[in-house]
Amino acid sequence: MRLGAVIGRVTLGKTLPGLAGARWLMVSPFAREHYQRGRQTPSGLSQEPSLVVYDDLGGGVGETIGFIEGREASSPFDQPTPIDAINAALVDEITFHPSSI
Amino acid sequence: MLLARVEGNVVATRKHPSFQGWRLLICQPINTAGRPQGTPLAALDGLGAAMRQRVILSSDGAAARKAVGDQKSPARWMIIGIVDESQAEDSA
Repeated sequence: MRLGAVIGRVTLGKTLPGLAGARWLMVSPFAREHYQRGRQTPSGLSQEPSLVVYDDLGGGVGETIGFIEGREASSPFDQPTPIDAINAALVDEITFHPSSI
Repeated sequence: MLLARVEGNVVATRKHPSFQGWRLLICQPINTAGRPQGTPLAALDGLGAAMRQRVILSSDGAAARKAVGDQKSPARWMIIGIVDESQAEDSA
């Protein structure tokens, strides 16, 4: 999974029947320089393109989440579901000690 | 599969139930010279990889679901081996 900052929420008017009532988050994925120590995230957006992530954990704006992309994102659903990014973890703390090289 | 270096870890109380008990390590994909390539990934670790160790990451969701024992888990990136030694021709 990648980590990212929740920068907003998305509300859908019309959806596929299986997705009615779902929560959606706008997420700005962390670039390498965003994986700093502690829980505070750097202000501003990263260079990585933002994306919409399906959320059933209750993530909120300003939080850091771990999200999974690809076919695996629809694994938790009983029916085939057209989702390719899902919130899999609400991050409490990050420890990151990058190597010098 | 990617060659990566362990550079940190993630603590998350609220997560998909299938991740309970698994370590989530921040792994930086690297090239053969050990330089970072791309953004770090958080991968499940059942092998006990340590900081700075080089590891192999697999993105195989089917194998990851089997490893965590939940066919409805979104698990994907997983550490499948710890590198002792790797050799490659000179590259930038």
